[in-house]
Amino acid sequence: MTFCYETIEGMRGKLASGAISSVELTRESIDRITDLNPSLNAVITVNEERALDAAAKADVARREGNSSPLLGIPMLHKDIFCTQNMPTTCASKMLEGFVAPYDATVVKRLNSAGMITLGKCNMDEFAMGSSNETSHFGACKNPWDTARVPGGSSGGSASAVAAGLAPLATGTDTGGSIRQPAALCGITGLKPTYGRVSRYGMIAFASSMDQAGPMARTAEDCALVLEAMAGADPLDSTCSDQVVPAYSSHLGDCVQGMRVGVPKEFFANDLNSAVAETIEASLKELEKLGAKLVDVSLPSTSLGVSTYYVIAPAEASANLSRYDGVRYGYRCDNPSNLQDLYLRSRTEGFGEEVKRRILIGAFTLSAASYDQYFMKAQQVRRLISQEYEDVLSKVDVIAGPSAPNTAFALNDSSKSITDMYMEDVFTIGANLAGLPAMSVPAGIVEGLPVGMQLIGRRFGEVDLLRLAHQFQQRTTWHTLTPTMEERH
Amino acid sequence: MTQTTTVRDVAELARLTIADDDVDKVTQEFNQTLALFDALTTVDTDGIAPMVNPCAESQPLRPDEVKTLVNREALMQNAPASEQHYFLVPRVID
Repeated sequence: MTFCYETIEGMRGKLASGAISSVELTRESIDRITDLNPSLNAVITVNEERALDAAAKADVARREGNSSPLLGIPMLHKDIFCTQNMPTTCASKMLEGFVAPYDATVVKRLNSAGMITLGKCNMDEFAMGSSNETSHFGACKNPWDTARVPGGSSGGSASAVAAGLAPLATGTDTGGSIRQPAALCGITGLKPTYGRVSRYGMIAFASSMDQAGPMARTAEDCALVLEAMAGADPLDSTCSDQVVPAYSSHLGDCVQGMRVGVPKEFFANDLNSAVAETIEASLKELEKLGAKLVDVSLPSTSLGVSTYYVIAPAEASANLSRYDGVRYGYRCDNPSNLQDLYLRSRTEGFGEEVKRRILIGAFTLSAASYDQYFMKAQQVRRLISQEYEDVLSKVDVIAGPSAPNTAFALNDSSKSITDMYMEDVFTIGANLAGLPAMSVPAGIVEGLPVGMQLIGRRFGEVDLLRLAHQFQQRTTWHTLTPTMEERH
Repeated sequence: MTQTTTVRDVAELARLTIADDDVDKVTQEFNQTLALFDALTTVDTDGIAPMVNPCAESQPLRPDEVKTLVNREALMQNAPASEQHYFLVPRVID
């Protein structure tokens, strides 16, 4: 009997009844990683011995009466979260072999909840990418079609959950990096409100937008995990002290009369027509649940990409200045002097996309360009944020596609750099405005998954999760799994 | 249009080197990305305050107390070169 496509909620029931142990669940996940990872490259560090040891301890704790909902459930972390005793590389040569002296708050909280860390997931280098092709450890593949990308930057997390390597993986989302790969791999992903989850120990990309969240099979599982991840942290001053609701207790709350805004700009020319039809059918399902669809407008949607690609690289160029070859990370061989050490360590340690963004960021922050680009983008950011606020004062949730297309081919040379940036056109707005947003499986087009995006009010995760959960009670898209060949 | 000399200057500020063979391609990609930003010039932002981050709440303050958060030995283990708790770098003063 296999449990690989069980939800957390399903595993929880079987653990509680004694039908299976945490050691058995963990063993199955590790065997599956061994079998399938060579073709997926979703996991870049496997934590086998410690995971089995932790699972055995979880089984003992359960027998002794511990009934924590996440106790003994195996999971994976995106390799952007610092983990003690395990490498943290951000999929960069710059951090190859780096072992953090502390756990990220997210890691610490999920450990405390009793979850079992199976290992670390592949990702775009320093979370910069929408295809997981910029990883120093090689591209990750989409389990629905291994000739295609899983999306990015949390591509390894999405691929792993979709392939049944684990029921949960953590992700981070700066411009869509949880939602776009969740959509392309047919899983459920939630980017919480900026400040809902601590960023301590999460390697920084663009600090004013980075946010961690769960990637799982269902909205219900995302709710359970977010309860454990979220909440104030004295080690992150941008982390809110607002009370964390019991998200999983509100999943059944009535959605009758909920107003769902449908922005016309999300259905413009950028959107693949088959994806558009799929999302329109999903919107009708929301209507059948009792939600009321309302036409709304977010006229600055296309400006979001320009705004984001000024602000994020600018913040990244500042954040990544810490990689200097002195205190940790890659150092070049035989530097002739300090300047040579800096120049060659950074030039050899960073990949092409990371260097491209550092260059753009350093340029837009330079005195001659600051007002024209960086200041201007921050002003436009406010206008975009106000547009979202205005719309969300009239509707409860905004709905549309998560990504303009289904998963595209690996090594697609027809895609320019800026074509790749347009992958984020529908997701970026929520990051600029700091709003919570989800992607839920909404259909299949030519054998590939499509995700519907739901965007909520600040700290409105309860609304998103209950709407997504009730959508998943009416539909079966989230239960579909790719066909993967196994050795045994 | 940004010139290769500007791109090289920016790279030096960011402590990155662009190989001679790559400079034309990097400059072309740089200009392609800057072209994406042209759309921002069409927006009237007079009187709009820049949005630095999306935090609605004021940032909390805490007492300035000395605390040991991490193990110094563990931190130093990641240093490419160190000696007696110091990071080693090439000679700075000749």
